[in-house]
Amino acid sequence: MKEIDARGLACPAPVLQTKAAIQEDNPCNVRVVLDHAASQQNVQRFLESQGFQTALEQDGSDFVVIGTCDSTSSIQPQPAPTPSSDAKKIMVMCATDRIGYGDDALGLKLMVNFLRTLKEMGEELWRLVFVNNGVKLAIEGSEVLEDLKAYELAGLKILVCGTCLDHFDLLEKKQIGETTNMLDIVTAMQLCDKVINI
Amino acid sequence: MAFPSDENVIIGLDRADDAGVYKLSDDLALIQTVDFFTPIVDDPYWFGQIAAANALSDVYAMGGTPKTAMNLVAFPAREMDLSILRQIIQGGIDKLKEAEVVLLGGHSVEDKEIKYGLSVTGIIHPARALAKKSLRPGDRLVLTKPLGTGIVNTAVKAAMASEQLAEKVARLMAALNRDAARIMADFDISACTDVTGFGLLGHLAEMVCGSNTSVRLESGQVPVMAEALEFASMGLIPAGAYKNKEFREKMIVVSKTVPRALQDVLFDPQTSGGLLISVNQIQAAGLVAALKAGGIDDAVQIAEIIDSPEEQIWVI
Repeated sequence: MKEIDARGLACPAPVLQTKAAIQEDNPCNVRVVLDHAASQQNVQRFLESQGFQTALEQDGSDFVVIGTCDSTSSIQPQPAPTPSSDAKKIMVMCATDRIGYGDDALGLKLMVNFLRTLKEMGEELWRLVFVNNGVKLAIEGSEVLEDLKAYELAGLKILVCGTCLDHFDLLEKKQIGETTNMLDIVTAMQLCDKVINI
Repeated sequence: MAFPSDENVIIGLDRADDAGVYKLSDDLALIQTVDFFTPIVDDPYWFGQIAAANALSDVYAMGGTPKTAMNLVAFPAREMDLSILRQIIQGGIDKLKEAEVVLLGGHSVEDKEIKYGLSVTGIIHPARALAKKSLRPGDRLVLTKPLGTGIVNTAVKAAMASEQLAEKVARLMAALNRDAARIMADFDISACTDVTGFGLLGHLAEMVCGSNTSVRLESGQVPVMAEALEFASMGLIPAGAYKNKEFREKMIVVSKTVPRALQDVLFDPQTSGGLLISVNQIQAAGLVAALKAGGIDDAVQIAEIIDSPEEQIWVI
């Protein structure tokens, strides 16, 4: 285990000291001791950029980064992107704020349930588009706002039709999603593998 | 603490804005600001230009026109060659000339460490001063300079950046926000600030606090120097970026899809950064087009103001 004492140094000196120590004798295990949380974060980022696995520790008032070289997992390119690019891209387009005809209250309840259950599609759910009356699901007071926020934070792109918001005079009420136009919607349709229309 | 005040104070200390605004008559208000710091680049002439651009920026961020300036100088005259000081001041003067601002005087003290900056006075119509905390739901936010100066300067300090990159970042920091301010005057703007030491998210948080609105920031749209992302992933991040993050963490929700290096850049302290402008959504594309036509190539829409009283920033 190579020990590096980088206490008393200000950024970027701890990173430079760690870099020099690694270049000097190419160790597989390093332990870097620092006296600032920011330096600890920086040294962690540096070691990870050099292919080390890292762990953070606190030793009294000192901050420690442990680096372990792991040639099997980090030097080789991660195979992770391949499966996701193979995954289907599904676009769900909601042109209404309720499902089906007949009882409106039931229709709304079904729509809320539908949007909440959509997450079962997992990573294949690629775009969620709201047009016409569907934009009312993306404005303040919508029952599914929190669910839509969670989708967006998880990386789902939500598109909301700008012409429709304008038509209903709801441009200022929109709470979620990117205001979009027909060209974006058509392009998304062309790029995806499947469009589900509600 | 109780600050002395009177009925002509439009924006004072209690508002903590970019600059103070004081009404002189019904159609004229004074804008005052002061800023100085230690050298952020090795070249004294560049340092002078950057310090002046940075001090002037606070007047531009209020929507005003700077008119006069005074130098503030701290210099180790006994240990260091006075020609260095001359170059710093020349840099400041040349930047003031470019901004059509006159230098009326200044004050210098003997100090171990170099410090330079200016006190700047500008003018504006009292009804047109742009506060930072007056975000309007539905507005779009436009940023006029790319982020990453703090990280790139750290890499320069670490001797890991090329000379060309060091010059590129110096030029970026020395670029005046004058043209951006002039162009935005023709648009329906609700709020404006300039991005400096607290980083983009820190300054955005200042705008959001007390505004009764929230912000949805599209991180992929934010203009960023490509080199800054690379250096950030190597840990060449100034300590200030981590402080900025810690200070505002509670009001910021970051999507797990935003890469760590980009998150770091969003908190990176900027020197003389761009203007962050809140514009009527109907005019947002027009403002960006006008800025680009005016030579501000990096100007881009990055966020939208949401009518949601949680006062949160969603980074997606």
